[in-house]
Amino acid sequence: MKILIVEDEAPLRSTLLEFLRHEGYVCEVAETYQQAHEKIKLYQYDCVLVDLTLPDGSGLNLVRTLKADKSVAGVLIISARGSLDDKVQGLELGADDYLPKPFHLAELNARLRSIIRRRQFQGQRHIVFRDLTIFPDQTLVLVKEKPLTLTRREYDLLLFLLANPNRVLTKEAIAEHIWGDDADMADSFDFIYSHFKNLRKKLQEHGADNYIRTIYGLGYKLETA
Amino acid sequence: MKLLTRTNRYYLGLSATLFVLGTGLLYEGLQHALAHEVDEQLQQQRTYLTARIRRAGALPTIALPQELTIDGPTRSESLRDTVIFDPVEREPVPFRVISFPVVVRSQVHWLTLRKSLLETEDVLKVVMGVMLAVMTLLFSSLLLLNRWLSRWLWAPFRRTLQALRGFQLQQPESLALPATPIDEFSELNQAVAQLTQRVAADYRALKEFTENAAHETQTPLAIMQARLEQLVQDPELPERTLGAVQDVYRAARRLSRLHQALTLLSKIENRQFNAGVPVSLDGVVREKLRQLQDFLEDKDIEPQVTLLTPVSVTMHPALAESLVGNLLQNAVNHNVRGGLLRVNLSPAALEITNTGPELHSDPMLLLGRFRKHNAASDSPGLGLSIAEQICTYYGFSLSYAYAPAGHLHTLRVAF
Repeated sequence: MKILIVEDEAPLRSTLLEFLRHEGYVCEVAETYQQAHEKIKLYQYDCVLVDLTLPDGSGLNLVRTLKADKSVAGVLIISARGSLDDKVQGLELGADDYLPKPFHLAELNARLRSIIRRRQFQGQRHIVFRDLTIFPDQTLVLVKEKPLTLTRREYDLLLFLLANPNRVLTKEAIAEHIWGDDADMADSFDFIYSHFKNLRKKLQEHGADNYIRTIYGLGYKLETA
Repeated sequence: MKLLTRTNRYYLGLSATLFVLGTGLLYEGLQHALAHEVDEQLQQQRTYLTARIRRAGALPTIALPQELTIDGPTRSESLRDTVIFDPVEREPVPFRVISFPVVVRSQVHWLTLRKSLLETEDVLKVVMGVMLAVMTLLFSSLLLLNRWLSRWLWAPFRRTLQALRGFQLQQPESLALPATPIDEFSELNQAVAQLTQRVAADYRALKEFTENAAHETQTPLAIMQARLEQLVQDPELPERTLGAVQDVYRAARRLSRLHQALTLLSKIENRQFNAGVPVSLDGVVREKLRQLQDFLEDKDIEPQVTLLTPVSVTMHPALAESLVGNLLQNAVNHNVRGGLLRVNLSPAALEITNTGPELHSDPMLLLGRFRKHNAASDSPGLGLSIAEQICTYYGFSLSYAYAPAGHLHTLRVAF
C-alpha cells in the first residue's frame, strides 16, 4: 500500500509519516506543490493525501492533475482552511474524501482504509480479525461463523476499532467518528462507555475473546494478541 | 410612486395652471379687442351719420330703433356700456352706446347709436372650449410621449437594475452591464461597475483573511493533536504524564472547536456563503433528530414532533443544518431526564420547546456569545449565537421565551 503525503508543515508531515508507516503503509512525502507534482507524474500511488494550502500552489490543482491523468490513486484532502467551497470543489474534482484539520489520526486511518478498500476490492470483500469476520457491504458480523446482532452504533464502533487495531483510540476520536458535529454533546462519553459495555457483553456471549481493552481515562484499544 | 406617475402629475399641474391663465388672458384679450372694434365702428358710423345729416340737412329715418335713437333721454356726449332687455331672447344683452349731438337747421339733436356686444358667456364658452381642446391635446400627447420615453429611454436603466439584482458578491463577474449611448446611464453603469469591483475586492480580501486565519490556527492545533495522539500510544508512558497529556489534548480539541465556531460566526457575518437553495427543513429536522437519537433515548425523552406540510426555505444547506442542529442540541443538552421536547414546524415558524433548568434572568441574554447556563460546561456557549447569526443573515427572527410553570424553554424561529 503506497501512499504519498503532500504536506508543507514539517511537524505534521513527520507525525503523519511515522503514524502511517507504523500502520504498515509504504509512504513518500512531498513538501511543496512542485515536488508533489513531479512525484504523481512519475510514480503510481494507492492513495494521495493532499494538503490544500501549499507554499507554491493549491492542492486542488494536484487533484486536477491526478484526475486528468486518470490515476487510479485515491485522493484524501486534508485542509485547515475550513472553507465549505474547498470541500465542495475538492469532491467535485473527484477527491474521495475531505478531512478538515485538526483531525484524529485514527479517523484519518479509517478513511484511508475505506478509500483503499473501495478502490481495490470491487465487489465482495470482508475483514477478518481473530475470530471475527465482517462483511461491510451487508453489515454482517460473524463470530466463529455465527452471526452476531449488533445495534448500528455498536457496529460503527467495532468497525472503527478494526480500522485501527493495536492503537489507543481516544474517547474524543471515537465520539467524533460516531456523532460528528454532535460529539460535543454533554453525555457523549457516557454513551461510548455504555455502547462498549454492550458490545463486549455480546461478543463474550458468543464466545469471542476479550480483545477490547479499556485504557483508563483515555479510551479503548483493540488488541491483536 | 413611479417616476412616470410623478412626472405626469407635474405635467397635469402645469397644464391646469396654463389652462386657467390662458383662459383668463384670452378672454380679457378677446373682450378688449372686440370692445375696441365696436368702438371704432360706432365712431365710424357717427362720422358717416354726421356727414350725411350735414349733406341732407335732415335727420335720417330710423330703420332699426334698437340701433339708433334720436333725441333720447341722454343729453351728453359719451361712449359707454349699457344693458338692454332683449324681448326675443328674453334676457338682458350688453350694448355699446355712443351719444353725440348733431345740428340740423340750427337745432341741436342728440343721437344715440347702439351696437350689440357679444355676450360674456358666449365669449367664455368659446375661449374655454378652445383652451380645453388645446390643453387636452397637449396633455394627452405629453402623456403618450412620456410613456414612450420611459419605455425606450429608460430601458438601459432598467437593464442595469436587473443586472444589479442578479449580482452576487461571490461571483463578481455575474454583473454584466450592457453598453448604452446615453451619457447619464453610461456614467451610472461605470460608477456601479467600479463600486461592485471595489466591494468584490474587499469581500475577497476578507474571505482570504478568514481562511488564512483559520489555516494559521488550525495547522498548529493539528500538529499538537497528532503529536499528542502519537504520544499516548506509548505503553511505557507513566500515568502522571499520561494525565497531563490527556489534559493538553482535550484543551487543544476545545480550542479547535472554539475556533471553528468563531470562524463560522465571522463567515456568516461577512456573508461568505453562496446564495441559498430551497432546503426542505422538515427533512433537516428529521435527520437531525435521528442523529440525536442516542442522546434522546439516554435521557428518556420522547420528542413530540409536528412537521406540517413540507416546509421549504431558501438557505445554504450547511447553514440550515447548523441552525436546526444547534437548536436541537441545545434543547437536548439542557433537558432533564424524562423531560419534554416539542418540535413544531410550519411554513411560518420552527418552534422548539424543552424542559430545562430554572431561569432567573432574561432568556434573550442566553443568545449572546459565550453565554452559558452552566459556567463550568466544556462547550464554548456559541451554539445559540450561531443560530441567531444565521437567523439574522436570512432575515428570520429568533426569540427565546421561558415559562416558569414547568420550566419550559421555547426557541422560535419565525421565517
